[in-house]
Amino acid sequence: MRIFFILLKKEIKEMLTIQLIVSLAAMLFIFHMIGSVVGKQTKASAARNNVVVLDFDKSELSKRIIKGLADGKYMVKDASAGDLADALSNHEYEDESFFMVIGKGLERNFKLEKKHTIEVYARFSKSLSGYSSSFSAAKIRKAIGRINKDLGVYALEKKFPSADVEFMKKPVLIEEFVVIGNARARVSVKKVLAFVRSQTYFFPIAVFFLVFMAAQMIMTAIAGEKENKTLETLLSSPIDRKALIMSKLSAAAIIAVLLSGGYMLGMRSFMSGIMGQAVLGSALFTQDAFIQLGLVISAAGYLMIGISVLFCILCALAIALILGVLSEDVKSVGVMITPLMMLIMISYLLPMFIDIGDASFVIKLLLYAIPFTHAFIAPQNILVQNYSAVMWGIVYQAVVFGVFVAIAGKIFSGEALLTFKLRFGKSK
Amino acid sequence: MNAVIVSNLIKKYKNFEAVKGLSFNIKEGEIFALVGPNGVGKSTTLKILSTILSPTGGSVEIFGLDVNKDSKKIRKIISYLPEEAGAYKNLTGHEYLKFMASIFFRDKRRVLKTVKYGEELCGLKDKLKDKVKTYSKGMTRKLLLSRAVMINPRFAILDEPTSGLDILNSFEIRKTIKQLAKDGMTVLLSSHNMLEIEFLSDRMGIMNDGKLLACGAPSELKNKFSTDNLEEVFIKLTR
Repeated sequence: MRIFFILLKKEIKEMLTIQLIVSLAAMLFIFHMIGSVVGKQTKASAARNNVVVLDFDKSELSKRIIKGLADGKYMVKDASAGDLADALSNHEYEDESFFMVIGKGLERNFKLEKKHTIEVYARFSKSLSGYSSSFSAAKIRKAIGRINKDLGVYALEKKFPSADVEFMKKPVLIEEFVVIGNARARVSVKKVLAFVRSQTYFFPIAVFFLVFMAAQMIMTAIAGEKENKTLETLLSSPIDRKALIMSKLSAAAIIAVLLSGGYMLGMRSFMSGIMGQAVLGSALFTQDAFIQLGLVISAAGYLMIGISVLFCILCALAIALILGVLSEDVKSVGVMITPLMMLIMISYLLPMFIDIGDASFVIKLLLYAIPFTHAFIAPQNILVQNYSAVMWGIVYQAVVFGVFVAIAGKIFSGEALLTFKLRFGKSK
Repeated sequence: MNAVIVSNLIKKYKNFEAVKGLSFNIKEGEIFALVGPNGVGKSTTLKILSTILSPTGGSVEIFGLDVNKDSKKIRKIISYLPEEAGAYKNLTGHEYLKFMASIFFRDKRRVLKTVKYGEELCGLKDKLKDKVKTYSKGMTRKLLLSRAVMINPRFAILDEPTSGLDILNSFEIRKTIKQLAKDGMTVLLSSHNMLEIEFLSDRMGIMNDGKLLACGAPSELKNKFSTDNLEEVFIKLTR
């Protein structure tokens, strides 16, 4: 144990460099800064709810449409004095991105029950990127929806003056329920999905970084020791080989946890800058429904997720340890990590886009065979109280870890550690 | 008394035979040098004696211990300095010496005493507070040699101890090795520098193609081959 701690201290000192700390701090700062800037920009774009209207019909109906827009919190600017070209070139409207043209004959066509076209123009003034353009599109959709709704009400009022317009607008009410296991609650599927995503959004990103960084660190540590021949010095000393393996695994895991914590903080800062508390806010309204559905992670649930992530990291580290032995030098680590990266990417990305339960047998087998998948899907399983899936996943991860550690132990106890190598290119 | 007995040593890597039936002895307190062209199996032999490679055939005994059966015990009494080795770049020289001493000794006072001896041996003084990555090649080599011998091993295996060093650094390192052998340490070294071999070694073995071609004291070999210097002996044997 004494030797283990001596080696662990040395490994941490070697891995946790000033450069690493500075790059992490820079990453945190950049995440925070981008999130903050984008958030402010988004708010500013959203706040600009202006519409320049050119009303050439000047009818009761067109005025009703304009009033409807104003009631819908649009700042309506009247540019009916000139034509569209004048409005677009007018300095007064140079910052405006949304124009609406109500042509002559709106009311007349309406009375004749003929369709009339209202033109809307979204102007990209500076660039096609960013949020302004998407907000313009969203505004147009919203405005058209409001216009059609107003016109529908107007038509009903004209045709059936004595009718209950509110009833006719929505003669049927829809109530959405969500069922999870034996639990049932009145809540929209959209809200449940948004809540589940909000709970699991950061998790796979953090696990991905964690696994990748830990693997890279341990591979670099082994390859570096081989390149510098410090490994030969250690192997010829009375160090227990198991302590050597475990100290490297532990140091990489400790630093990876610290770094991923940093990344997670940065990412949270970034996302909260962009989204504010919107997701959380909507979730709060329906909190009772989520509790009813059991969509709450208990302390035991968090513990199971933690164990699954821990074994996920340990599996990656054990595989990386072997890949590090195969690396001839630090330069070849970039190539040697590829098979591990591919496994991590598959287990990270596929469950984000497909439902594993509905996947084909081959895909299911592939995903479940990769030990990392079990950690990535653990929060979803815990949320739907599928504890046995998480438990079996942990058992499987532990077996995989044991197998790879045994292989690593075998390599470290023999001379293969020094003689194993895969050459790429003409490295010395 | 023989400190090391190498008998008919063979080492094969897949289809390549690096060492082909090598035999030699080293007496206790002796400096024995293995010389030969590049790639003739010197470093492989040193690695087998350091217990980090296993022999394919033959036997190696170090102070009566077998490299195959007693490797753990051997590691407690030997010290190995690999050719062109480095140290941990993010540790200071002092931290590196302390780390290596802590591996060999449990007692804190013994560790401190060993580190102090290592610091005196390397002569790097205040530079020991700096990280190893700031060291020159010569400084690193001095640190590594000090590391190898500060634990006072019974048998030191030094693969090209002065490789790539300037005249002053090489001279200091040779002086240190000579003094350590006088104090009772058995030393096996490899080198390409014949002057160094002549200055340092009590006996030497000349290797080529995985075999030992000649073995004896430098003066004996010069007489045997009727030459004035070891370089000519080497050339006559390896050509």
